[in-house]
Amino acid sequence: MQAMMDCKEVLRQLWDYLDGELVADRQAEIAEHIRNCRQCFPTFQFEEQFLHAVQAAGVEPRGTGALRARVVAALREQGVTDPRFDDRPER
Amino acid sequence: MVSTQAGFQVLALTHLEEVARFARWLTKDEADAEDLVQETYLKALRAWDSFQTGSDCKAWLITICRNTHYSLRRREGRVEAVEAPELEALAAVDVFRSAQAGGLDRAFTQFDLSDAVRRELRALPECFREAVVLVDIQDLAYDEAARILDVPVGTVRSRLYRGRRLLQERLLDHARDAGYASGSARSGK
Repeated sequence: MQAMMDCKEVLRQLWDYLDGELVADRQAEIAEHIRNCRQCFPTFQFEEQFLHAVQAAGVEPRGTGALRARVVAALREQGVTDPRFDDRPER
Repeated sequence: MVSTQAGFQVLALTHLEEVARFARWLTKDEADAEDLVQETYLKALRAWDSFQTGSDCKAWLITICRNTHYSLRRREGRVEAVEAPELEALAAVDVFRSAQAGGLDRAFTQFDLSDAVRRELRALPECFREAVVLVDIQDLAYDEAARILDVPVGTVRSRLYRGRRLLQERLLDHARDAGYASGSARSGK
C-alpha cells in the first residue's frame, strides 16, 4: 500500500492538479487528500476560485460579426470565396 | 484549389473568436487587435498548404497570430527570470495564507473583481501574461502552450505560476484598498 501523500507534496503539485496535468492516479490521490485535509482544502478552494474568476473575466463574450465580415472580405480579395460565409448574421 | 480554400474558410474561421480573444490580450487596443487578426488570417491562408489535416487548427492560428504580432514590433522587455515551477507553486501558498490572515480568502467569490482581473492581467509582464492567457483563458494544455510559445513545458509552468501569483497579489491589494476585507479580520483581535 502506498504511503499517503503529505501536504507539502500536494501543495507543490496543486496547480498541476487544478490544470488536470497529472496522470490519472496522481489526480485521484491528490483529490482524495484534499477531500480529507483541513489544511489543503482551503488552499485548493482559494486557487480554484481564483482560476474561475480569471477565466470568467478573460472570456468576456464579444460579438465578432463585424470582424468576421472584415476578415472574409480580406480573404475574398485574395480569391478565397465560399457562399456559406457571405452575409452571415452576427452570433 | 477551390476545395482547399473552402476547407480553409470552414476550419479556420471556426476559430475566429478564439484568435480575436488572444489578439486582444496581446495588443494595446481593439483596433490593433482587429488588424492583427486580419493579418493572421491572411498569413494563415498563405501557409495553408503547410497545415497538417487533423492537427490543432486553433493552436496553429494562435501561433501565427503571436508570431505576426512580434514580427511587427519588438517585445516589450526582457523575459523575466523565474524560479523552478515547484518553488513558484509553494510561493502561491504564502499568498493564500496572507489572504486568509487578512480576511480575503473568499475574495474571488464574494466580490466582482472582473474589471480588476482584466486590468491587472493586461498589466502583467508580457511573458507571464501570455502563459496565463493561453492556459487560463484559451484553456490550452501545458504542452500546447509550450508549442505556441516555443519553450519547454517547464518554462510554461514557471511563467504560468509566477503570472498567477503576481495577479493574485495585485488583486488582493486591490481588494484591500477597496476595503473588501471581512469584518472579523479588521476586528483587531
